[in-house]
Amino acid sequence: MTEIQVLSNSRRRTGSTFLRKHQLIIAPVAFITPAFAMFSLFVIYPIIQSIGLSFVEWQGIGPQTWVGLDNYRELLGDPVFWKALTNNVYWLVLFLLAPVLGLFIALFLNQNVFGIRLVKSLFFFPFVVSQIVVGLVFAWFYDPAFGLLATMLEPLGVKFPAILSNENWATFGIILAGLWPQTAYCMILYLTGLNSVNPEVIEAARLDGAKGWRLLVNIVLPQLRAATFIAVVVTIIGALRSFDLVAIMTGGGPYNSSNVLAYYMYDNAIFRYRMGYASAIATILFLIMDLYIAWFLMRLLKNEKGSR
Amino acid sequence: MADVVLKNVRKSFASVDVIKGVDLEAGHGEFVVFVGPSGCGKSTLLRMICGLEKITSGQLLIGGEDMSDVEASDRGTAMVFQSYALYPHMTVFENMSFALRMAKTPAAVIERRVHRAAEILQISHLLQRRPKDMSGGQRQRVAIGRAIVREPKVFLFDEPLSNLDAELRVQMRVELSKLHNEIGATMIYVTHDQVEAMTMADKIVVLRDGLVEQIGSPLDLYTSPNNRFVAGFIGSPRMNFVPGRVVDSSDSAARFSVLDAPENIVQVPLRAGTRVSPGQEVTIGIRPEHLIGASEGPGLEVRIDVVENLGGIAYAYGKTSAGLDLVLKAESETPPKSGMTVSAAIQEAYCHLFDDKGQTLSTSAGLVRAHEAAA
Repeated sequence: MTEIQVLSNSRRRTGSTFLRKHQLIIAPVAFITPAFAMFSLFVIYPIIQSIGLSFVEWQGIGPQTWVGLDNYRELLGDPVFWKALTNNVYWLVLFLLAPVLGLFIALFLNQNVFGIRLVKSLFFFPFVVSQIVVGLVFAWFYDPAFGLLATMLEPLGVKFPAILSNENWATFGIILAGLWPQTAYCMILYLTGLNSVNPEVIEAARLDGAKGWRLLVNIVLPQLRAATFIAVVVTIIGALRSFDLVAIMTGGGPYNSSNVLAYYMYDNAIFRYRMGYASAIATILFLIMDLYIAWFLMRLLKNEKGSR
Repeated sequence: MADVVLKNVRKSFASVDVIKGVDLEAGHGEFVVFVGPSGCGKSTLLRMICGLEKITSGQLLIGGEDMSDVEASDRGTAMVFQSYALYPHMTVFENMSFALRMAKTPAAVIERRVHRAAEILQISHLLQRRPKDMSGGQRQRVAIGRAIVREPKVFLFDEPLSNLDAELRVQMRVELSKLHNEIGATMIYVTHDQVEAMTMADKIVVLRDGLVEQIGSPLDLYTSPNNRFVAGFIGSPRMNFVPGRVVDSSDSAARFSVLDAPENIVQVPLRAGTRVSPGQEVTIGIRPEHLIGASEGPGLEVRIDVVENLGGIAYAYGKTSAGLDLVLKAESETPPKSGMTVSAAIQEAYCHLFDDKGQTLSTSAGLVRAHEAAA
């Protein structure tokens, strides 16, 4: 009895109110508003602010002087900026090895043998470790005096240069360190992707005469498209915002030879008190990412339409 | 000439023997059905024929050639999977032509064969669709089409209808039989559904625990099962088993009493070479359609629990006074009600007799024997 009463009461209460009538409009707005407010305050506003800062000269405190496009003009003539940009391109290209390596490791680990879970988690381990730790481990690994690399190569008679203090090698040394956790991440993405591939489809393909490479290209990879897409996107973003490894391993040195845009920006802002100049670098980096993110969103929308 | 021959084929996974020595032949153009309860090894046997599983020992001949160590794609077999296993990213045309493209067949030939197969299966209008945009029945056809375009010597079906709803299953069953008549290729078909086996097969292979229990035509298995397992597996509803005791016997026939109703004496002709002795315990097998309930008359007294009336036919589920479960056929127009007691008469001519090891003692049951009895 009481239950029925409660039900009918509540129905009467919400029966004809404004809220109920406009539920379909109000509910989504109510859900989106908090996130949108936070996003505006902590993401969109700082972006606009830093674009604004790129047109002034400012030391972080004190007066801001309007300089127009002077910061950008200076950037164009700054060899360190060009070096950093080139390095970012190296990062971008070489980082794409991560999805490829991740795929092959995943294919290798995608089998049912005793202890495979342990092996999988060991392969995933570098992704769990902090980037700072990865940087330190690799810095020690490369160390010419007591590092593992030197110790291993010494008996073979190979004399390697001190990688992180060599201006030709430093960037590649850091990229290799970055590839380690990134590959692990791509591997996990591919492993989950492989899980959803119907084994009977693979068997059907084997009966249809597809083997090895042709099986991979014609049957397996197309079914891993979603995983590939995410892996590439995450890897490219990771390459463009590479910062922590550079900071911990070389600090952009020697002679800025391993600098990247993100670190150069940080360097200018925090150590040289050139907020305007740093903001100009940030804006350029932002534009590069924008191009990419636009492409990403377009692909995403197309994919969503396609899968319906 | 037999298209597929298995000679003492065995399969072990690690230390577990799954197939324990199977011999069988599938003649050219024959429709062979493997049936058996789940875990009996029927799918494994099929996968060994197509090459997805290696044969541990024994010999496999396809078209007269030893195929035991030949690549799966070169055996001249094509398989239709239970899940259809269509390539999700390809259109129907691409799905059906994949094997030919892998074999580098000229484009004109591919085009011709795919369109021909699509016509047979009436899916020509679907060739540009993707699997996800099709119904289960249509996907099933594409999977069959993918097998047809390869023009294999032997078609292999692994429970192909079990993912379809009941109505479509009946329809596809008929169409598969038609297709078999049309193409005339050898087909091997795995199912656990004995209705599919009975309706489609030229030859049924009943498997249990990795061994062949019996091979024969559907009617053979129905009228003269080799043992109690086959008798119980073939036929729906299941055959009734009633304990009995031999009263006396000659070389060719035995008379025995049915426990529960000792006054009920039944005479059954014996198979050549089988002997029974008076007092021996036997099991009598009688199918529900030959155990007809009547309101009175001689027979076992059965108290009815449930009646399933299918319209044309009705089955009554009940218990004897000793607690033995029985299924009997009843008139569908005036079916017994639950709680009623009816008397079920055993028709001698349709009786099977099994010894305590489950081996069949009686000759084939049915019309032939009915005529003999009348003569």
